[in-house]
Amino acid sequence: MSLLDTRERRRTPPTPPPVAARPGLGRRIRAAKWSYLYLAPMAVLLLAFVVYPIFASFGYTFYRWNGIGEPGNYVGLANFRQILSDSIFWGAVEHTFVYAFVLVPVQLLLALALALVLNNPKLKFALFFRTVYFIPVVTSAAVVGVVIQLMLANFGDSAGSLLAKTGMTDGHIDWLGDPHTALAVIIAIGIWHTLGYNLVYFLAGLQTIPAELYEAAKLDGCGPVQSFFRITIPMLRQVGVVIVVLAFIGSFQVFDLVQVLTGGGPYFATEVVNTYIYHLAFGGSAGAAAEPDIGLASAASFLYGLLLIVFSALQVLALRGISRRRTAAGQ
Amino acid sequence: MTSSNVSRRGLLRTAALGAGTLALGGGLSACGSGSPSSSADALTYWDWYVTQAPWVDKEIELFEKGHSGVSVKKTTQQNAKYPDLVALANRSGNPPDVFMIPQVPSVAEQVAKGWLHPLDEWATPAWQSRFPEGTFLEGANVFDGKVYSAPLKGSGPQLQLYIHHGVFKSAGLTNPDGSVKIPRTWDEVTSAAQTITKKSGGRSYGFGFGNADGIGVLAWWLDLFVRGAGAPGGAPTVPGTGMDYRVGKWTFGTDRAYADFLELFVEWKKRGFFHPNSVSLSDEAARAFFERGKFGMTVGGVWNQPEWTQHKFTDYSLVTLPSPTTTPKGFYYADPVGNGTFAAVSAKSKKAHEGFQWLDALTSPAAGRRWVQDLNGVSAHPADNDPDGIDSKPFAAFIGMTEQVLRGPVPLVRNPELAGVAPGVPKPDISDVVTGVYTGQIKDVQGALTSLADKKFQLLSDAVAAVAKQGKKVSTSDYVFPDWDPTKPYTTKKKA
Repeated sequence: MSLLDTRERRRTPPTPPPVAARPGLGRRIRAAKWSYLYLAPMAVLLLAFVVYPIFASFGYTFYRWNGIGEPGNYVGLANFRQILSDSIFWGAVEHTFVYAFVLVPVQLLLALALALVLNNPKLKFALFFRTVYFIPVVTSAAVVGVVIQLMLANFGDSAGSLLAKTGMTDGHIDWLGDPHTALAVIIAIGIWHTLGYNLVYFLAGLQTIPAELYEAAKLDGCGPVQSFFRITIPMLRQVGVVIVVLAFIGSFQVFDLVQVLTGGGPYFATEVVNTYIYHLAFGGSAGAAAEPDIGLASAASFLYGLLLIVFSALQVLALRGISRRRTAAGQ
Repeated sequence: MTSSNVSRRGLLRTAALGAGTLALGGGLSACGSGSPSSSADALTYWDWYVTQAPWVDKEIELFEKGHSGVSVKKTTQQNAKYPDLVALANRSGNPPDVFMIPQVPSVAEQVAKGWLHPLDEWATPAWQSRFPEGTFLEGANVFDGKVYSAPLKGSGPQLQLYIHHGVFKSAGLTNPDGSVKIPRTWDEVTSAAQTITKKSGGRSYGFGFGNADGIGVLAWWLDLFVRGAGAPGGAPTVPGTGMDYRVGKWTFGTDRAYADFLELFVEWKKRGFFHPNSVSLSDEAARAFFERGKFGMTVGGVWNQPEWTQHKFTDYSLVTLPSPTTTPKGFYYADPVGNGTFAAVSAKSKKAHEGFQWLDALTSPAAGRRWVQDLNGVSAHPADNDPDGIDSKPFAAFIGMTEQVLRGPVPLVRNPELAGVAPGVPKPDISDVVTGVYTGQIKDVQGALTSLADKKFQLLSDAVAAVAKQGKKVSTSDYVFPDWDPTKPYTTKKKA
């Protein structure tokens, strides 16, 4: 073969393999009919209890309504205006974002570190430790909240006094009653409570990394730190993105822990958006009973939903951007 | 309805309604505490009285003995769900024959919805005369001249300062005769709290409360202390209250008693007089802490007493209206609007006559006497409120305090058209503001109080304007009683 032949061959694009004609939509649905059948009950429930209420409650945003009888007091966009001008709402948004942006990074780092330790095949009782770290996840947040609230407030005065006497704190701290500490305590409990989820996700991710890669790296003279940054982190990237997204979604939905531990107090210091909406919808707050207002609560829900959509879109765009940059750098 | 005019949709709706009603009825019955009689013909009665259940059960027994052939089937509902359940029962067309009137929607709305049966057929002037003068108020329990309910409870002092004898004695706060030195002025209260905190060496504190439940506990403190200082509106612990009728406004920002007390309150906190976990304690836990002597004083109502009595804890006293001076400049004021309604006969009841008989029995002077004797509270009939013969000393003391409740102005008497005025509740309200001041989150106390007072008046003005728009003759001046002296009983004259 001459050199010219070789050059010609390089210029000529390879002939693509023949592509089979794509079956029609109807045929594809028929082919997967059992899958659709299995999905149907969940889809119906989702439509009935998630999608329908979202659209149904939108109508209530234009009314002042206490939830009893039919809504009759039409107020137009006044509910939206009231929510947007309410400093407590914006405070609740801030607390929710603080909760999410502190909890997620700390929790993910802790979960990854623990997962690395628990993934060590030489570790004895690994299964026991995995179970121990997962137990808080299967315990209801309400139960966790009640127990910790009892420990800190009702039974914790002696412990608090002891800390003060030993000089570890300036004075007795009312952990959940002090506006400077209450949110931090809730975040700490939140980290502990849901750590197990991310631990399991990371463990699953770690177990998909072929051991041969580490062995090859070891032969090439890589230390544990290099292996971690050159093999573990890149191989965990895909599962990591899912974990980050799920962790943020979970954090933005924080409700039960706050409601049980502080009810949003003291003086709204721990009010998050979901407790704010709850207090509007069902009346009462950190004060004398207020009339429930389903209209205001619906308006707040919609505004928060919009905020989350914007945040999610930004998150997706940021992740795509990072992915593109990495792909470009790889080329 | 004949078979010819039954549409398919109508049939389905009827079937659904029937099934729903059966399910609701079954569910409700299941969670209720039925009386011995459970015949299908029994008079059905709903309430939310849990701790008062022994009194109700005794009244049912006495009623059934006195009315042969009539039995009462009681269902006690969970308090928080009660309004929803009554609304559902009415919407499904299957309400109980007699029911305690839920707080939401307002009585006026319930009348407008046609839920309540007018009682005029039986509630004759002679029958009405057994209640104190001025009980039957247009806009409270009378609408368009028709009577719909009658009161069970009378007005007692809403709040008291509870004094733990053991803690006081341990701190040496006793009189020469060995009795406990009861503080009555702001200075005496401060001094007692200081002594307890100092002498107990950290075992007890002067004060304590449980603010974690979001029930507005800190507004109770403000209310109790500022009334005696001459702020007759106190702090609104219930929506729609707390107005100083001398000016027809909330005077948080203009009456210095509010800022003065809050300054003292913060001072108490800074000096360590309060149990340090008070903000995050539940009210229930705070009651238990007081019982165990973890603090010497707390603020609460008569509702504290049953639990302590059950635990055999009676070593305490109660005082009301601690004031800056020895003589209070303001009092509690009778609330005929709040106390005027109790239960009603359902408009749908087929046994309305028997329903009224049951309501009549429950609101009778004899039942009121038993209500007091069973330590439930103050009766609507003044003669029932006799401390003699009550075994519990603290409860007898509370009953004796009804003298601290004076008749005050009642805007509804002067202008019944105010019945439709329902101002909204601002958020934050007064209890939130007091919490913010206590925790140090609110620095500008005077500013916060003034802003809140303005907001509350604005909400009232809006509500009045909405009613005026419907053609009613109402104005914010209907709430002004310039001739009222808060230290004397006041008789409201009807509008000419």
